[in-house]
Order: sequence, then C-alpha cells, then structure tokens
Amino acid sequence: MARRLSTRRILPVVVILAAGVNVAAQAAHQNIASACAGCHASQARPQPDTPMGRGMQWPDTNPLFKSHPALNLRKGPYTYSVETKGNQPVYSVTDGTRTISLPIRWSFGKGAQTWVLEKGGELYESMVSYYPSIDGLEITTGDAVLTPQDLDEAVGRKLREGEPQDCFGCHSTGAVSMGKLHLQTLEPGVTCEHCHTGAKAHMVAAFQGEAYDTAPPDLRRLSSEDISNFCGQCHRTWETVVRSGWRGEVDVRFQPYRLANSNCFDGTDPRISCIACHDPHQELVTADNLYDGKCLACHASKNASPPGGGHNDAKVCTVASANCASCHMPKVKLPNGLMTFHDHEIRIVKPGAPYPD
Amino acid sequence: MVSIRSRPCSFCVLLILVFFTCTWLPKATGQIAPPRQNDLIAQASAARMQNDLPRAIELYSRAVQVNPKWPDGWWFLGSLQYGTGAYIPARDALSHYIEMIPNAGPAFALRGLCEFETGEYTQALGDIQQGISLGAANQPRNEQILRYHEALLQTRLGNYTSALKTYSFFAKNGVANPDLLAAIGLAGLRMPLLPKDVGPGQQELVSSAGDAAYRFWAGDEISAAQAFQELFQRFPKAPNAHFLYGYLLFATNPDAALAEFQQELEIAPSNADADVMTAWALLLRNAAAEALPYAQKAAAEKPTVPSAQLVLGRSLMETGDLKGGLSHLEKALHLEPNNLETHLALAKAYSKSGRKEDARRERILCLRLTSGNGTTIEHP
Repeated sequence: MARRLSTRRILPVVVILAAGVNVAAQAAHQNIASACAGCHASQARPQPDTPMGRGMQWPDTNPLFKSHPALNLRKGPYTYSVETKGNQPVYSVTDGTRTISLPIRWSFGKGAQTWVLEKGGELYESMVSYYPSIDGLEITTGDAVLTPQDLDEAVGRKLREGEPQDCFGCHSTGAVSMGKLHLQTLEPGVTCEHCHTGAKAHMVAAFQGEAYDTAPPDLRRLSSEDISNFCGQCHRTWETVVRSGWRGEVDVRFQPYRLANSNCFDGTDPRISCIACHDPHQELVTADNLYDGKCLACHASKNASPPGGGHNDAKVCTVASANCASCHMPKVKLPNGLMTFHDHEIRIVKPGAPYPD
Repeated sequence: MVSIRSRPCSFCVLLILVFFTCTWLPKATGQIAPPRQNDLIAQASAARMQNDLPRAIELYSRAVQVNPKWPDGWWFLGSLQYGTGAYIPARDALSHYIEMIPNAGPAFALRGLCEFETGEYTQALGDIQQGISLGAANQPRNEQILRYHEALLQTRLGNYTSALKTYSFFAKNGVANPDLLAAIGLAGLRMPLLPKDVGPGQQELVSSAGDAAYRFWAGDEISAAQAFQELFQRFPKAPNAHFLYGYLLFATNPDAALAEFQQELEIAPSNADADVMTAWALLLRNAAAEALPYAQKAAAEKPTVPSAQLVLGRSLMETGDLKGGLSHLEKALHLEPNNLETHLALAKAYSKSGRKEDARRERILCLRLTSGNGTTIEHP
C-alpha cells in the first residue's frame, strides 16, 4: 500500500519530466502522444507515425507533398493536378477552358491518399487519389463508376449527409461529438484519445495524483469478438459489412469481417484477436514470416503446448511451417488493381477457387 | 393526379387484369371447350364484348355448370362478377380457377381484391402478395393499384412498418391523391383502420401526417420538416406523430430520430414501439447502458413483439449479461425466425460466449439472408 501511494506521488513528476512541458498545456495540445509517452513510451512514441497515427495529415507535415510537388493525371476531358508551393498543396481540375482550384486541407491516408475538399460550404471526396503502387494519381477507389457531367462534378464526389462524420471520425480524433462534425478542433490521425477514451482526462488527473483511478479501460482485456468490433468501428465490423451487402474482392479491406469468416475464429480465444497479431502502436509488420509465431500458437505440433495456454486441437500444416500467411492469407487486389490487402479470411486456398464471400 | 382508390377504380383493375389475362389465358390453360358448349361460349363472349355484364355472367355461369373443368369460364365469370360488385361469388369463381391454374398471378390478385371488399383482410393480403409475386404487378398501373391495396391491408392488420415501406413507393414515383395521403397518415400514426373508417374528427390529423410523410419521401426534407412542425403544433398530443417523424429520419439522421422517439415517449410513455426504437438508436450509438431501461420497458409491455426481445437481448449482451442477453435473443428468434438483426446479434452473443459453432451457423445464416443485396462501395 505504501509503495502504491509512493508511486502515485512520483508518477506526475515523471510525466512532467518526460514530456518536458507543463502537463496542462500538453493536454490542450493537438497531439497528446508525446505527453502520454511520459508513462507509456513504448506505445506513444512510435504510434504517431503508424498508418493509423497518420490516418489524416496536415499539408505541412505530409511528406507526399514534399516528395511529389507536382502530380498530374488526364482522365477523359479533364486534367487533374496537385501542386505544392511552400506548404500549401492545391488540387485543380481543368477542362481546358475553365479551371477549379481548391486548397488541400485534409489528406486521408499515409500511403495511398485521398483528399477531402471544401467547395461552396460542402465537402467533396477528391475524384483522384495518390497510389504508391503506381506512384501517381488515379481515380479514387469506388469512383470509377462516376461520369462527371461538367467541371464542377469532375472535382469529386459530394459527401452524403452523415458521411463526413464517418470519414473524419475514423481518420482523425475529436472531429465528431454527439453526431456533429467539428472540423476546427480535430486532431489529425488516430491519437491516444481516439481509442483510449478518457486518455486526456487521465493525463491531467495523473498530475493530481489520480492516475490509477482514472485510467481508461484496458482494451487488452476485451475478448477477441469485442476487439474485432472495437477495431471494426473503423475497419468495419462483421455486422456492418453484412448489413451493407458488400460482397466480392472489395470486402478484403474489411479485416474484422474477413477474420470472423475464418473457420478458426473463436470470439473467446485471444490467439485469434486483432491485437494477437497487430500492435496498433507500432508500424505495421509487412513480412509474412514475422507472423508465423502467431499461426503456430494454434497450429503447432500436438506435442507442443500453446503459448499462453488454451487448447491446441488445430490442424498442423503438412506443407510448410513458415510463411503461413503467404498461402493461407493470400494477397488480394482491389478490383481497380491499385491496392493489395492480405485476406484475413484464414483458410486452405484451393487453386482456381473463387474468392469466398 | 392519379386515382388508385379501391372501389371506384376496381373496374379499371378488372379491365387491366382481364386484358393481361386474356393474352395469357390460352397459353396458360391450353384447354378448349367441348363442341356442345361452343354456342353457349360464343353467346357469353358476345355478351361480354357488348358489355352486357348480367347476360354474360348468366351465360358463363351456365357454361361452367356444364363443364366445371373449364378454367377460362371460371376466370371470365369471376372477373365479371367482380366488376358488378358481386364479390363473394367472384371470389368463389376465382378460387375454382386458381385450383386449376395455380400460378395465375392476376387471379390471385383479383381474388385478393374481392376479399378486400368482403372484409377478409388476412386472406386478401396473402392473395394480393401472392399475385404480385406471380407477376400481376408487371404493369405500372396494376402495380400501383395492387401495392396501394397491399399497404391498406398491412395497415389494417397492424403491420405499419411494411405499409410505410410500400407507401414510400408512391411518393418516390410522384403518385399522389387525398386518399393516398390519408392512407399514409393511418400507417404513420399506427391506426389499424382503412381510410373510409376514419371519423370526421380525425381526418385532418390523418391527412396532415400523411402529407408530411409524403413530402419527406418525395425528397423535400425542408418542406417535410415544416409540415411536421405544423402537425406537432396543431395536434400536440397526437400519439405516434413524433414516432413517425423519427421513423423517417432514422436512416439519415439517427440523432434527430432519437430526439423524436424520446419526444414521443413524453407524450405517450407507454408506447412500446417508441421504447424499442429509442433503445435501438442508442444501441447503434454504442450506448447499451442507456438503451437497457428502454428495452426492458418495451419487453415488459410487449413481450411477444420480436423487436422488443431483440433490443433487450442486445442491451443485456452489450452491458455484460451474456446469459440474459442470449435468452432474450433466442426468444426474438423464436418469434421471428428470419430477422437479420436477430441473427447478427446471436452471432455476436454466441461468439462472445465461446460457442464457436453456433456463432458460425448464425453467421452463415446472415450471409444467406443478405445474399444478392450487394452494393458497390462508394468511398475509399
């Protein structure tokens, strides 16, 4: 007990020293990760540069605009360009006689990027996006079916009612409150507070010696089913995909849906949860072999006891014991061929078999 | 303005259905009357063509007495009797026809319209829906008349949500008349009546509610909002008026819808439907703890309503009472076996309970229930 009290008193001091700034001022700062790093360094330091941490980027911190100051694409009668002067990228479309130019404020995505544009008080999804796979612009995923009738329509797709809340709600922090959009106060990307509701209050309370009483819920304690639904708030839950009727290769992007379709998915087995394989605070691991241990936690030899306990009745692969994901979670391209995802429906893939819905 | 009223236009229905069926009959039945009947048939046909309905009915009646296995005779007899308002004999004649030609959509539809007139509402709804499924609504005019009667019957039988879905078809297609607005109002205000049964004191309320809903479906949400505000001012205590607006708003603005449902509960605290929708809106906001008291109240008031069991089951499951939640979800499933939302909730509940195979079974059922509903993804 004495030790606990002692820790309570020391903790705020550690927070202040580690953050190097006044805690109250940090709480008001748009990105609290550096302040959180005072106590949670291994999570908070790398997280801001992950794909989720950079789910949205301001123009001045977006490396794409520095490395690609001029991007162009001609599509039918329209020519698109994204040109950056200083720190201000401008999205333009012209039909040769007239040009519409809009400043880019919100870039969605770290690798592939789509821009949300403001025109006449309305929000639009840019008609073209940047794709690393071609190192250039191409029509935004899902918009190839659109046929602009004039230059105004060629700018992009007007977001439907409620859609901005969905887009900004996932790609930034603090953009949506009680269903209302707050574009002036949002923090770009997924910050600590996005997933750990109450993180800011917890940090301030820590300064007052209340760190333990105000800690946000420990998400590691959630069941695999609950974690899928938690991550699925943005990556789409199984329910969302089913309700929406999305079928075919396009749904490979919705990992919680695909994972739950796997024979091996068990909502109470921690070895198959999202966070069993992915640490959301770290850069995404892309080497297949680095996931082998996760697969072998269930599919190891019968004689081996699974790490962390639990049953071990899963079949053992007769073909290989390495690079499991390369066969059992094949890469699937979106129909536009511009983005590729590992299919999270873990399965024995038979040659020539259609993509399973 | 297009008329789709029941009785005055029924003859129009008849003519359309007769036309449809006349072109379809010979192929469908493939039967030719015996030679000794030919004179009788020729006379009946001539009377029908001359629009001498009493004579035609008499001759067709004699013809089917001579040969009860002659389906065309039963069809003409039934359709002509319907045209003269003889609904009971028309229904019976059409039943003979359907016995011999069981895939005759127009005959089912026309028998349903007969039953609508004789007050056999459950049978009428079944027959009209069967007729539609067999192609009787394959022309715009037929579709309007059959859908209108289908929705009238759904309202009369208390299936208001289905009726509203059917009525939205008219607004989206620009079909409007005073009868339709009153009919929409009845479904919206959840009154199990036909427009002809609305008392003089309620006609204005019913029509105003229908008009506001019609404007909403027609896409004029500003005008609809004004119409609803006027409705609320003129009839501040009218049950289900706020519920109707909430129902319409729910798909595009669930927060505004939630406010309307809560407003409804202030006016009518024992409105179980409003409790269900309030709980559902809160569940979709991930506010299960807030949803729970509404769900409990709904299930206590209407324990046999599947949606009440569903929201209670989900609320309990999502607030940590998995066992209690599963029990109510299984009740909901028993009451309504094909509800997608119940299967979705059960899949989650079984999964959280470690019942992997049950969860998998429910997931497969959900995928089956939604197969063919594919939509394109419109955002990155």
